[in-house]
Amino acid sequence: MRGEPGGSGTARIERRNIEGLSENMQLSSVFQAGGFAYALVSDTQANKTILSELPPTLGEEFGTLLRGSDAKAGISLELEAGGKVEGYGVFEFPYGPVSWGVPEAGGFRLLTYGERVLKVIPQVNFKKRGVEQGVLGCEPEDALLLIERSAGNFSASYSTCFVTAVEDLLGLEVPSKAKWIRAVAIELERIHNHLYVFGRLAEAASQNVAAAQTQALRERVLRLNSKHFGHRYLFGFNSLGGVRRDLRKEERGNLTNDVRLIAREFSGLVEYFLSSRIFLDRLQATARLPRGDALVLGAVGPSARGSGIQWDDRLTYPLEPYEDIYVNLETEPGGDTMARTMVRVREIESSTIALRELLDRMPGDGTEGNTEGHGVGGRTEDFAFCRIESPSGDLIQVAQLDSQGRVSNLHIRPASLVNWLPFAKSLEGNVFTDFQFAFESFGLSFADSDR
Amino acid sequence: MPKSWVVRGLKKGVLTTGYPDAKPTSEELPDRSQPPVPAPNADWTAGEKRCPTGAIRAGEERIDLGSCIYCRLCSSAGFAFEEEGRVTALQASLTAGHGKATGQIFGMSFHVMMIDVGSCNACNLEVLNLSNPYYDLSRLGISFTNSPKHADALIVVGALNPAMTDILKRTYESMPEPKLVISVGACAISGGIFRRAEGFVSPVGDAIPVDVTVPGCPPSPLQILEGLLLATGRMKKDDDRP
Repeated sequence: MRGEPGGSGTARIERRNIEGLSENMQLSSVFQAGGFAYALVSDTQANKTILSELPPTLGEEFGTLLRGSDAKAGISLELEAGGKVEGYGVFEFPYGPVSWGVPEAGGFRLLTYGERVLKVIPQVNFKKRGVEQGVLGCEPEDALLLIERSAGNFSASYSTCFVTAVEDLLGLEVPSKAKWIRAVAIELERIHNHLYVFGRLAEAASQNVAAAQTQALRERVLRLNSKHFGHRYLFGFNSLGGVRRDLRKEERGNLTNDVRLIAREFSGLVEYFLSSRIFLDRLQATARLPRGDALVLGAVGPSARGSGIQWDDRLTYPLEPYEDIYVNLETEPGGDTMARTMVRVREIESSTIALRELLDRMPGDGTEGNTEGHGVGGRTEDFAFCRIESPSGDLIQVAQLDSQGRVSNLHIRPASLVNWLPFAKSLEGNVFTDFQFAFESFGLSFADSDR
Repeated sequence: MPKSWVVRGLKKGVLTTGYPDAKPTSEELPDRSQPPVPAPNADWTAGEKRCPTGAIRAGEERIDLGSCIYCRLCSSAGFAFEEEGRVTALQASLTAGHGKATGQIFGMSFHVMMIDVGSCNACNLEVLNLSNPYYDLSRLGISFTNSPKHADALIVVGALNPAMTDILKRTYESMPEPKLVISVGACAISGGIFRRAEGFVSPVGDAIPVDVTVPGCPPSPLQILEGLLLATGRMKKDDDRP
């Protein structure tokens, strides 16, 4: 956090009683550790994250939130208790978990009246693999293998989030260059995910040439990932205390050039798109999420910024390189699919600019961290946490180590999990054929939310 | 000025790979798709101990590619990796139980469907990538379908989850005969890194009969494409591979 002593990037969590919370604070997550229940609360004015121990007698609502993390398949995320929709002509349409429209295992119950969607109930946990339980008792290096495979398309965000939290716990000194390389990976990941979303939207609108050209650009980014980080989805480049891949000077120059070419070609493509009435008609006024709803339901990432909320973890809770480089906060007031798409389009541009700066001004020290003295002098009682702006939004991880330096607690709060309800709310009142546009524009991933 | 997609499309030229007529380039077969190669002085016991997925079998002095997630932790035990630029053979293979004469039945038209039974989304995206202009699946007569009733082959990705076991079996049963199953990625073949996780039941091969396996974490699109060509019988043995 900005101005914190130590400058390691993550701040130690501020502990506060539940009574000490004020009204401009937003509940980000609830989790259990060591028999106690905790709440992670974001202070939206002071840009702080607060950890609060929950009293055991807090009532049914928190109980539901905590049980929501149980590994139960097809668990339904209802908007509000008792919000039933029934009557003559109301039809329940089950969608998924095997479908091509959503190329993942996850389902929806769509309550429709004719063409109109009255209510969407996402069903998650069809692919709950239990990453948080799976890493317990593992060395952090082994846990990392599982964590970067929680959500393959957000792998760089996941692994950076975890190692940053663990490095904070162990008190490891991480070379600046390693942190800058991690930021490069995160920005590349953002570009390829935003391109994916744009390609899927074009595909949904039957703009086949456009979809193919966007997919080709995305393939080029994936090949750049493979060339510079050794893996198309950026697995395995992070390690505890550093990174495994060095970016040499000439390599950095090439990467800057290649990304700039891709971004330039993409902006040419977008110009074509914006002159296509057929495409725009499908996006404008589709799945509108007003700012008030986005705030109440806790939308994060481009979905929140598309509703005019000024929140980007790179600026709100900046880790090391982001304090020094310029990242533009892209927001749109509209709240519809068009607004979310434009936020993503402009984020590709701003990520390219950020990448150029990251690669130009990268500090010159080594990349391999000193991991000697594992667990010595580390804090074992305390939690450490990290927030990263993954391509779909705010990702939080809270970690705790035991006295041998093994993971004893891990809590992941993925962006997709909190974006389900804003997505469901935005689709109410739209026609059934808008489903694909709403789903893709929120950038939702079942692998991310089920982990 | 009206903007023409056709002109724009033509201006791009041809991006598509020469595979399967030409050898794949090093760009098409990424760095991490090369399996570990035991050096003469490799320490098998240390390798087995370091391997997070049990892919290194010290007793048999063998590497089980279906379990390998290409994490490269075994390099400390003397297992080498191919250097960049050197393209080795691809790794898709027919399973022992595969006995169908597929060549005549699935010649030029082959419809595949993908089912996700608990993946991290990377394999899903690589399968979807097969339809992008660089790989262009449809030039080989292979196309995706979204109904098991139209499918000739089922691509299974992910570590089999308890919630998806029954759904996978029912999807398989609703496919018309003759039908093939291609399990893609370490998770589907053996559980991969998730083999000790809570939400893992068994390898896909224990739930439904599997004909072709494509190892990798995730396999690159070309490797999946090779699995598909093996399944249709257009590529039969190692000599057929470019």
